[in-house]
Amino acid sequence: MADTMGHSATATKHTSVALGFCLLALAPQIFELIWSIGTIFGWGAGRGPATVLVSHITALVAGAPAALLGAIGGETKKASSDVLLALIYSYPLFAVAILTIFMTIRSAQDYVGGIVLMALALFALWASSDLQGMRGFSFGAGTAPRMFGGLLVALGAGIALTGLLTDGPGMAHYAWRGPLFVMVSIVFFALAIRPLGVVVTAFTSFLISAMGTHETRWVEAVIVGACLTLGCALLFPYVLGLPMPMFPRFLVQ
Amino acid sequence: MFDLFHNLGLGFGVVFQISWWSPWWLYGASLPISINILMCLIGALVGTLVGVLPGIGTVATVAMLLPITFGLPPVGALIMLAGIYYGAQYGGSTTSILVNIPGEATSVVTAIDGHAMAKQGRAGPALAIAAIGSFFAGCVATVLIAVLGAPLTKLALAFGPAEYFSLMVLGLIFAVVLAKGSVLKAIAMIVFGLLLSMVGSDIETGASRMAFNIPELADGLGFATVAMGVFGFAEIIRNLDAGAEMNRDLVQQKITGLMPTRKDLIDSAPAILRGTVLGSILGILPGGGAVIASFASYTLEKKIAKNPSRFGRGAIEGVAAPESANNAAAQTSFIPLLTLGIPPNAVMALMVGAMTIHGIVPGPQVMQKQPELVWGMIASMWIGNLMLIIINLPLVGIWVRLLRVPYRLMFPSIVIFCAIGIYSVNNAPVDVILAGVFGLVGYWLIKHDFEPAPLLLGMVLGPLMEENLRRALLISRGDWTVFLTRPLSAVLLAIAAFLLVLTVLPFLRAKRDEVFTESES
Repeated sequence: MADTMGHSATATKHTSVALGFCLLALAPQIFELIWSIGTIFGWGAGRGPATVLVSHITALVAGAPAALLGAIGGETKKASSDVLLALIYSYPLFAVAILTIFMTIRSAQDYVGGIVLMALALFALWASSDLQGMRGFSFGAGTAPRMFGGLLVALGAGIALTGLLTDGPGMAHYAWRGPLFVMVSIVFFALAIRPLGVVVTAFTSFLISAMGTHETRWVEAVIVGACLTLGCALLFPYVLGLPMPMFPRFLVQ
Repeated sequence: MFDLFHNLGLGFGVVFQISWWSPWWLYGASLPISINILMCLIGALVGTLVGVLPGIGTVATVAMLLPITFGLPPVGALIMLAGIYYGAQYGGSTTSILVNIPGEATSVVTAIDGHAMAKQGRAGPALAIAAIGSFFAGCVATVLIAVLGAPLTKLALAFGPAEYFSLMVLGLIFAVVLAKGSVLKAIAMIVFGLLLSMVGSDIETGASRMAFNIPELADGLGFATVAMGVFGFAEIIRNLDAGAEMNRDLVQQKITGLMPTRKDLIDSAPAILRGTVLGSILGILPGGGAVIASFASYTLEKKIAKNPSRFGRGAIEGVAAPESANNAAAQTSFIPLLTLGIPPNAVMALMVGAMTIHGIVPGPQVMQKQPELVWGMIASMWIGNLMLIIINLPLVGIWVRLLRVPYRLMFPSIVIFCAIGIYSVNNAPVDVILAGVFGLVGYWLIKHDFEPAPLLLGMVLGPLMEENLRRALLISRGDWTVFLTRPLSAVLLAIAAFLLVLTVLPFLRAKRDEVFTESES
């Protein structure tokens, strides 16, 4: 792994794309690590961060090659889920990342799009690897996901290939302001609706998402937000009869 | 023939059903109202509103309103949702013509000639022709649904699992052929959708698939959640990219003289007819729908016109044909849903969701077991079209004024409405976050030029396809040739293969791209 990183750092071409793929290859592991930090504070169940870190590193560095050698040698010892993740998901993506450095990418839009789809499909293949396959001629739970997963890997590769062979647009420009504030607003809504109720949540979420553009005029936004909140508070629970908390829990009690 | 009238009679009976409503503020007195007519009116109004406003599409609206239909009777709920769909086709034309802002993708081509007419001071006739064309197309499509409904249902009852599987493959291939852009990308989106539909517990074994022990995923990804994310939130984020202040210079002139001249009527009559026919056909085909119909009919008009140079400078046929076509297609796309239980496009897929909420499994049996539902819906379409022509022409001024609401105020409102809508489907906060995540996914897809519509179609058809594939193979004892040895299934697959080959051929590919280039010219 360290070798890969070093390689892409020295190469002048497509370094950022290759680095992005490397990050993508480790994304599930990093995500689980961040997620596991929560267990320190007692949120959620699962492995602690230390266990996660050690387990994934051993899987990536030692476990997977060992399992690979074992498979060639004919051993049928069952590999752990972390090792399988490294084998099915991370290694192929590392390979792609290394290959990327030597490629001439003619349409970055297609190439990156295809590779990311491939990554999603590989991830799905890993996620369904513990499911039962075909039993005789009846489908197991894992047959269809594996079938479609395999198909998507091929299609993703195909799209990436067209990105290499035909000219096309490069990477599009991503804005950060709109996505960020709209997402924050959505997440705030999801977390606050139960404890704080419709009135507070809808109004606050409105103002947060209004931050998504620099054109917002605040007086106007506050007035419209208040009217909208009032409308929602009347429409959803009363007119439509949907059960929804109205006011913050601590005020009602 | 008698059956047809009997069925339509049943339908109108359902729509005009009077019920007595006694609200609490009347203290015991009651009012006679027809819930279904009211629902039809609400649907048509909301649809027009959505059609007028750019930045919020039909798919997101129907997804947003799904939870609202919980409290309604199933017939009323479906009538309302259907009204939104065809209402949006009307509304989209209004803003296309008057301000050159297509509110919906289906009226993009209408803007070309429609707005040119408006600039020449002929906005009135353009609006009138659009409305008349839509109404005519709506009437024809209603009759078509009524006529084709029963025989297709009979055919569908002869279908076994193998035929169903092949039919769905054909539908997905159609979706690919009719989708905009790269064929490979469209197929990839479908497969991605199929893969997403696998999340959750397996129908047969009950095993949890790709759910990562997250309890909220055990039931699978909600279809409305994904639709709202990919079509609702993603669209908002994308619009914010361009800057919230979209170019909206309204044509501030009084609309005078709604009535088209005699010459206008004579010119547009054949165009309306052609548009209706083309739209009806493209609507029935799976994967088709209103967008492709409007593009295709505009191209056709331009091809057969004696003087094609008139197009783009206010040719009335350029308004009449696409407007008739999109309305016809919006309605005929109900045919595969009602008779075969297969949704041909994303909006119909959401209708499946609405039906499932009310415990109705779409398919041929619905027409036999719940005729009042199907025929009531069909009859409501005709009434809805009538309502639309009445509400639209006089209210044009109001709709246009709505466009002055700046996007900087509109988008936070849409975000809140979407969030409350998704939350109330299951009362689950996690669904809201999931929709947000799919919003980002949708944004990414747009940036990489992937079409989200095939994804949604794949997601809806996924479970159906898997189930039928499993059954077909179980019955044939694992013999894969069953799809080729059963004649109906073989024919369907042959058509699918033929279509796919055609699309890849360079000559036809150029033709296919040509249909979609109209919007850029």
